[in-house]
Amino acid sequence: MDLFSGEFTGYARQMLYGGLVTIQLFLSGFSLALVCGTAVGIVSLSRNAVVQGAYRVYLSIITGVPSLLIIFLIYYGGGAMLARVFGHSRSFDVTPFSAGVASLTIVYSVYIAELVRGAVRNLPRGQFEAAAALAIRPWAAWLYIIIPQLVRLALPGLINIWLIVLKDTPLVSLAGLNELVGTAKIAAGATKKPFLFFITASLFFILFSAVTLRLSALLERRFARGIAEVKA
Amino acid sequence: MNRSSDRPIAVQLSGVDKYYGAFQALSRIDLEVRKGEKIVICGPSGSGKSTLIRCINRLEPHDCGRIVVNGIELTSDPRSIEDVRLEVGMVFQQFNLFPHLTIIENCMLAPRLTRGRSKEATEKLARFYLERVHIGDQALKYPSQLSGGQQQRVAIARALCMEPPIMLFDEPTSSLDPEMINEVLQVMEELANDGMTMICVTHEMGFARRVANRCVFMDKGEIVEIAPTEEFFAAPRSDRLRAFIAQILH
Amino acid sequence: MSGLPIDPHLAWVNLPAMGHGLLINIIMTFLTLGIGLFTSLLVTLARMSKNRVISAVAGLYVVFFRGVPLLILLYLVYYGLGQIEGVRKGPLWLIFGSAFSCAIICLVLNHTAFMVEVVRGALEAVPVGLIEASRALGISPRHVFFRIRLPLAMRYGLKAYQNEVVMFAKGTAVVGTITVVDLTAVANGVFEETYDPFTPILTAAALYWVFVNTVRIGFYRLDQHLNRHLITDEMQRRSVVVPKKAETSRPSPVAIGIAIPAVRERVL
Repeated sequence: MDLFSGEFTGYARQMLYGGLVTIQLFLSGFSLALVCGTAVGIVSLSRNAVVQGAYRVYLSIITGVPSLLIIFLIYYGGGAMLARVFGHSRSFDVTPFSAGVASLTIVYSVYIAELVRGAVRNLPRGQFEAAAALAIRPWAAWLYIIIPQLVRLALPGLINIWLIVLKDTPLVSLAGLNELVGTAKIAAGATKKPFLFFITASLFFILFSAVTLRLSALLERRFARGIAEVKA
Repeated sequence: MNRSSDRPIAVQLSGVDKYYGAFQALSRIDLEVRKGEKIVICGPSGSGKSTLIRCINRLEPHDCGRIVVNGIELTSDPRSIEDVRLEVGMVFQQFNLFPHLTIIENCMLAPRLTRGRSKEATEKLARFYLERVHIGDQALKYPSQLSGGQQQRVAIARALCMEPPIMLFDEPTSSLDPEMINEVLQVMEELANDGMTMICVTHEMGFARRVANRCVFMDKGEIVEIAPTEEFFAAPRSDRLRAFIAQILH
Repeated sequence: MSGLPIDPHLAWVNLPAMGHGLLINIIMTFLTLGIGLFTSLLVTLARMSKNRVISAVAGLYVVFFRGVPLLILLYLVYYGLGQIEGVRKGPLWLIFGSAFSCAIICLVLNHTAFMVEVVRGALEAVPVGLIEASRALGISPRHVFFRIRLPLAMRYGLKAYQNEVVMFAKGTAVVGTITVVDLTAVANGVFEETYDPFTPILTAAALYWVFVNTVRIGFYRLDQHLNRHLITDEMQRRSVVVPKKAETSRPSPVAIGIAIPAVRERVL
């Protein structure tokens, strides 16, 4: 096939759009999950039994159910759920994109909450005690002492989740979103050139992952400043 | 040998009890520490020594009795806790330096936040105390780049930067390799000679004999014996203390 | 809050079909895990090999199959390979013609790539001191690996392995896109017939949840069994605390237990 035929450039442009949609979906989903997840994580540290119970139920459900099902649930059932909550007078149309962002947020907030909880638990108690002994107020202790160390502790896990969310975005194509993989499938079907489009899509993800890992190594080094590497 | 008893009382514990659930960690603790006194608390592990001094700055709450620090009564009121913590500095067994900050930043953080002084003034203060513990040249390093002895000296400087009239030491040399214990003890001795009121939990009996005015022996949550240092080691009155000294000084 | 409109009758009627779908997921999971144990050991050893070429090739494998989402891989193998004349007309069609086997191939490729990290981490978590002691005792390198390093690595890597298995089991839900009739596909089918968005999906979710938690319980039992040498008290059974991927702490030195008899045994 002509690499410069109109047909090809048409699909090439669509792939580009698809890539942009993927990035938008990914960034929205991840950042929302980050914000919500951190909040949930911190709240879940409370000693209130109801809060703890609710968190554990949430955690159990999300970690026991494939994210694809959550995507379908929100996409197919989202309209009905919103109508139920906000009254039947308004009809709600759930777009694939919003269903995708919502489900990514719902699912990955829990994983991030777990990260936050783990990081707080792993922080040596002595740090809290030293801050207290120095009469540093709790808010200042959190801001200057605890949170900087939490970020360092949680960073590897955050990078992990970043990559996992990225690779979950193609699932939203099954709800009809024309992001990169969805577009690739359409193009592959129409042009009978599956390898071309699917490999291109693959390269996008691999490149994204590689760049992420590079940048994360730099980030980790910056945050580990001052912390000696534990040699085996 | 006794410090004159008309010096003001720095720390007073009366009838202090503490429980962890059903377990009694401290029982009927009565202790009076005068300004300028150096007290060493010793005893077998589990005797409540650390618990006692951790109650003084409310890292642990006491259940019964009164604790008064420089005239401030320690209660569960956050303001009283904060006021007491400003009077009392603490050095931990595990140093607990903030790993993500440099040495000098470690020292400057608390004064900046609590006393609200300018950055220059605080830096001068930090450098002064770092010099005092003989580690001024490492000011820009991170804790992980220093040895244990150096880190502990920084921890002492950090506590001193809040300029507390009373210093608590919770087994400051127990985590150190033998060759580094002396550099830390030397700093503590210099501090003592400068007139600091000190309460130390330690196993270093040589240090106790050189520096302490009085020694306290604790066992199973109780104070078994308090005596001026010489008497404490030469003529212990209780059997338990005698046995303990025999074990320690073999 | 009123309950979501689940139609119990609909759920009940479709339960057999869903059960069958779940069975497909279960079979795929275990088949892949089984094959994966061998392939991941192979690829990990290749990755850790001193031969630069082998190590690089293994490295590329890992980078590719970790980076590519499973969905694209499925499309690539099922639609892509299916387009090649040579494959279609040749004997390989036996394998690539079936959606199920295509799915298995993709799952194995994907799973193995993630397992390399798990296996490598587990092997490296075995304290060097133990290996050295074994060699000093004169035990041959082959025995050191299979009798000492590998069994211990299994215990150290159990938590990480569990994480991967659970994530993977949930990941099999995507095979419906290449016409394998798994649980999600069945649920979708019911939705398309009835337009009831909640019943089929929630039922399917419940079934997956049961599956995943059964796997978790299985791992818990396995951990108890593997680490029974660490049990110090009849009443106190605790699992070995092993770092997850995200944590940087090293494994607890308590978790070293070759040839230490169970403390419960009485010495008469």
